[in-house]
Order: sequence, then C-alpha cells, then structure tokens
Amino acid sequence: MTVSPLVPPSPSAVAHRKSAGSETARTTQGNESPLQQVQPVADREITEQLNDEVRHKYIKAKKLGEGTYAVVYLGHLRTDPSSFVAIKKIKVNTEYKDGLSMDAIREVKYLQELRHPNIIALHDVFSSKDQNLNLVLEYLPRGDLEMLIKDSNVHYGVADVKAWMAMLARGVWFCHENFVLHRDIKPNNLLIASDGEVKLADFGLARSFADPYLNMTHQVITRWYRPPELLYGARQYSGAVDIWSVGMVFAELLLRVPFVAGNSDLDQITKICEAFGTPTEENWPSVSKLPNYIPTDGNHLVPLQGRDFFLRHFPTAGPVGADLLMSMCALDPRKRSTAYQALQHSWWSTEPRPTNKEDLPRKSGGTKKMGDDLTRRGGELDDQFKNAARQLDFAAMKG
Amino acid sequence: MPSSREAMVHRGDEDEVCPVCKSSRYLNPDMRFLINPECYHKMCESCVDRIFSSGPANCPVAGCHKTLRKNRFRKQTFEDINVEREVDIRRRVMTVLNRREEEFDSKLDWDNFLEQREEMIFNLVNKVDVAKTEANLQKYAADNMSSIRANQALEAKEVTSFQERQNQEQELARMRRQAAREEYENERKEILAGREDVLTRLASGQPADAAAIAREGQKVILKKSSARRSEEERIRQKQAALRGTDAKKPGQTTATTAEEAGSGLIKGLKKVKTPEPEKPYDPFGGMVPNKRDYYSLQDDYPSSYLDPIRQDHRMLAGGYDLQEYYSRTLLEAFAGLGCFIDEEVSKREANSFNFVKPVGTHGALAATPGSQGDK
Repeated sequence: MTVSPLVPPSPSAVAHRKSAGSETARTTQGNESPLQQVQPVADREITEQLNDEVRHKYIKAKKLGEGTYAVVYLGHLRTDPSSFVAIKKIKVNTEYKDGLSMDAIREVKYLQELRHPNIIALHDVFSSKDQNLNLVLEYLPRGDLEMLIKDSNVHYGVADVKAWMAMLARGVWFCHENFVLHRDIKPNNLLIASDGEVKLADFGLARSFADPYLNMTHQVITRWYRPPELLYGARQYSGAVDIWSVGMVFAELLLRVPFVAGNSDLDQITKICEAFGTPTEENWPSVSKLPNYIPTDGNHLVPLQGRDFFLRHFPTAGPVGADLLMSMCALDPRKRSTAYQALQHSWWSTEPRPTNKEDLPRKSGGTKKMGDDLTRRGGELDDQFKNAARQLDFAAMKG
Repeated sequence: MPSSREAMVHRGDEDEVCPVCKSSRYLNPDMRFLINPECYHKMCESCVDRIFSSGPANCPVAGCHKTLRKNRFRKQTFEDINVEREVDIRRRVMTVLNRREEEFDSKLDWDNFLEQREEMIFNLVNKVDVAKTEANLQKYAADNMSSIRANQALEAKEVTSFQERQNQEQELARMRRQAAREEYENERKEILAGREDVLTRLASGQPADAAAIAREGQKVILKKSSARRSEEERIRQKQAALRGTDAKKPGQTTATTAEEAGSGLIKGLKKVKTPEPEKPYDPFGGMVPNKRDYYSLQDDYPSSYLDPIRQDHRMLAGGYDLQEYYSRTLLEAFAGLGCFIDEEVSKREANSFNFVKPVGTHGALAATPGSQGDK
C-alpha cells in the first residue's frame, strides 16, 4: 500500500510535531489563538517538505517524449543512478485551469491501489514548480506490443502469443478483482519491461465499477477495441468490456493486423456484426433496449459465428486457443468469459507452453515508444488516426 | 595396414601352433588366432567355429572353466596378452569413469580423480581387491548413468568435429596449393605476353624509343605483380581470420554438462545445478484466486434497494452483474480486517531509515493519521 505524499497531515499530528520541534511556539496547551495562527503555515510547510523530499529522491535526465497531455522524462533515483524510472509530467491543461485533468486523477487514484507484476507500478507522485503533477512510474524500456505486432522483422509464434496473453489476462484479472475497469486496453498500452514482462499501462480512463446507480460513460476504449455494448451506448457495464478488448488484442496478435478496424462508431458496429454475427434478441436478450441500439434489417442478418469460424480465421491458435478467443468475443457481455474464467481456460496448459518472459521476442527502440505511449491521451489512436480521437464526455461521468 | 602387420607376425613364427587343435601355421598358412577377453586364451579361428558355433561353451584350455561366447572372440591387437588385457580393462574403466576436467572444482581434484582411476585399473589388472573394485565401479555406473552418457556423447561429438576440422583444413590447404599453382601459371603467361608485346612494339617502333618501351614493359610487369601480391596478402588475412573463428567454436561446445553430482566415489566434483523440472504453467502467476478470509459470497442477497435492477433489462443487457456488486460490497466491508496500521508504520519506518533523511521520516510519521491514536 502506498500512501500518497499529498495526504494532508491531521492537525493532531502537526501539533505533535510542533511540540517536538519548537519550544517557544507552544507555551500553553489551552491557549488556542497562537496555535491556530501558526497552523496553516506549518501545514503548508509539512506538505511542501514531504513533496520536496519525494521530488529530491529522483533526478530527471532526458525527455523521452512529449504529447498534448503529458511529457515523459527518463529519471533515476538520486541515490542509485542505475535505477531508472519514467517521470510523467502532466501538463497544466488549458481545459482544466482550476484543477487537475481527469486522466491524471484517475491514473493516480487507481495505480496507487494496484500492485501487480503485470500492471505498471506507480512509485511516487510529487508536484513540481507551477503545480505540475509528476507521476514516477516504472521504467519499461522495451516498447509495447503494438511495436512488435507491426514490425514485420519480428517473428513470433503461438507460444509467445500465449505468454503475452497470459500476462495481459493476469493484469486485467487483478484489476477486475479489485473492481477497477481499465477501459483502454490496446496493444500500445501494453508496455514491455526489460525482463519481458507485459505491463498494463495508461490508467487515464480507468474507474471502479459495480455501483448499481452510477452511470458510466460509453465513450471509452479506443474504437477498434470497443465492445458492442459500449457502441450501443450501455451506461452500466462490467469487466466484460475489458475482456472484449483483450480478445481483440489476442486476435491482433495472431493476425498482426487489427481484426475489426472501423472508421467510425457506426462502421465499427457494422464490422463487428459482419465478423461475429448480428446481435439479436435471441443471441443477446434485451439488446434492443440499449440506448443506441440500431436495428438491423432482416436481410442483412449475419448468424452468430460458431467455433469453425474462429478455427478458420485463427488457425495458429489451435482449436483450444480459438475456443478461448471465441469465449472472449461473445457479443452478449453476460456470455463473455470473465478474466478469471479466461485464466482458468485449458489453453494455458496445452502445448506449446508459454515462452519464458526472458525469451520473448524483443526489439530495440522501446524507450522512445514508451515516451510516446505515456504521453498519449486515453482513447486516442496513434498519428494517422489522430482525427478520429474521441472527446471524452466527462460531464456524463460521475465518480 | 593390418595385412602388413599380420604378414610380419606370420613370418616370425612358422611353427606357431594352435594350443587347442595343435594345427601349425606350417600346414595352415591362413590360420588366424582369436582371443576372448574373458580369459585371453588364444585359439585358432577354426577352433572357435568348431567349439562355439552351437552356443556358449567352456574354454577348451585345460584348467580354465570360463564360459565363452563366440561373439566376444576377436583378434589380438598386442602381441603381449597382458598388454592386451590391460588395454581392455583400461578402456572399460575409462568409459565408466569418464568425468571431464571441466567438471571438477580444482586441478587438485581432477588429479586425484585421475589417480583414483589409475588405481582402479591397476587393481583390476593385477587382481587386487577385484571384487570390491568391480562393485564400486558398477555402483558408480548405475548411479551416474546419465552423466556418463552425456560425457560419452560429448566425446563422440568432439571426435567427429575434430575429424571434420581436419578434413576442412586439408581441403583448404589443397585449395591454397591449387591457387598458388594457378597464380604461378598466370604470372608466367603474363610475363611472356608482356615480353612479346614489348618485342612487337620494338619491331614496329623507331629505334630511339627502344629504351622507353623496354622500361615501360618492365614497369607494367612490376605493377601487376605487386597488385597481385597485395591481393594475395588480403586473401591470406581473410583466411587467417576465418581460421581464428573456426578455432573458437569447438571451445563453446564443451562448456557445460549439467548433471547431478551424486557419486560417493569421486570427490571434488563441481556442484552442478540441475535445472529444476518445469512446473506446470500457472496462469494466475502465483496468486490465489477467490481467496476470501472473512466471508463467503452468496449467490443472491435479498434487497429492496437492488430489486429495480433485477428488473432492469437494459442494465443487464449492458453486462451489468449484481454478483459483482455483492462481491465488491463484501470485499470493501471486510477489507480493513487483518490490516494493522501500527505494524505497517513501524515497518515503513524501518525501511525509510535506510534511504531517507531522518527529518523526512519524522514528517512521514507525523503525516500518518493512524500513527498516534490508532490501536
């Protein structure tokens, strides 16, 4: 458990400290007024002191990348120059002059709670001059999965895919087990540590879930990885949305191209229907009640795809792997497997055994990629798709 | 090669006699003697055929009651039967005790091992403590089956790679010789051609140019040969570099033989790490799923607060699951149990003393709400 250094100290603690520190300030316990006058100053002092202490623990070295939302620096511990960290400095946003941007708050809030080998570690948080928020994150120098998928010089096999998928599924499982939805799983948010471990990064869109009377936004998750219920505008959903993204990443790892890549939300849902089948009341009870449901006319109805479809399209995964993928790509979120069910699947124990993380394919140039990945705003696609980035509807989100 | 030696052997003893059938070489010049490593009694080929064709039988030499088999009979390599026997014993012991120098911690241990091996051979040859030595040997062989095999394989590989290397070297030498020969030919041809050229030019040119033409011709020849020489030099360097890399390779193959070192016979073996047998893959990465210390989760909790949701098909169609709500609520309700802030604080304090200035530690302590009143 990390305790944020920004936690304000309780008045009693301050009083205690003062009594230990200066004799003159505390003459009598009963005399209220001097204490109250001193307190705000002391209060500021101690938070500043704590902040400075954290800040001075690290040294910023060079800039790794800059985006609209953040700048990422390579840094290291002052005491140990070999212990690298990535320092993500959130830019003071023009949109949120009076406070911090939502993404930063989400990221700090959830990363602080989650400690898992497959989730990027948040070591510290401090504010630098001009009230900039700095997140000290784990340094992941080996790029991301997208880089490996796109590079045709990198060859990988089903054992490697299995290893990556297992790490991803573990990370997602841990998030869901702690009731956190990531809501932006995609290959370039899956960073690779120096030992080959895949880590879930960018919690800018994460939130906790399962609260029955709190609506959530449906405008999350990068479009290609967005599940049909979000495209249909569901305001109450579960971990199943992340599992759909995991399934899409799985398919992309096998095919080395995004499996359903729509140009717009409508195109996306069309492509999903074409690929997996049209959602109907039979295969997805009360789907038509979802807010943005678009009825498909009877002529273009694509039947729900069965096992043979997945076997045909993903022969490399083998029959068991295709079965797992199918369970992740169920249209009805209630029929989709959970992260826990996915991890219990027999694919992990069938041959070939997942590659050891140290032996996974690697590629150089990951440092820059990490810089790019961490500066991106949640839900954004890279470069050529910049225009397609969605504006988040923060007003609709509560909590 | 064997024929010449045999001829030599045969020439020496015209009157050699088979100790079993008493037929002499004089009568039977093609007679070949065979021995059996069981008792090393010599007999002629026809005796072996005659006595042992129908299965194992006793040695026909008087007083020797060893049971011999035909397939173990072989030709004698050394004239002295004792040498033959020692070589056999040595070979047998060496195949069992085939540890390699890399496997030992120090040179001394390796030397001790060699001495031990020689002692065992000596014992077997000179029939000292034969039973005990044999027992030791057999026990060792049984215990270290896998490492013996591995070393044998390694040795075989080395032998083949050595042969390959030799063949390769020979081939290279042959090619070098051929290249040199061709070069010499070319050079000669060029000199002749150059000379002819100079002559024709001299014949067609004016007498005044003669000296110039001759000098030029000489220069051309010199230039060509120096170019050739530098080219040769370059090729030679390249080949040397190639040989260098070749020579390095075999060193790597003999790097490690990872086997268990469990023999009581040999001391000072390196502690070889046996690779742990791979555990079945754990998709959960060592975490225990569904670990709940303080409560168990029911399938359903009656609650009027939640009843509207049970009816709300829109919510359910979006994948909302009340189970998750139950699970989360219970998790949060019980999350504080088993957390002891006092302990955590003192632990953190101990840690932070290692790398943070003491001032900061006071601050951190003071900033922790739980550190004072909480008990």
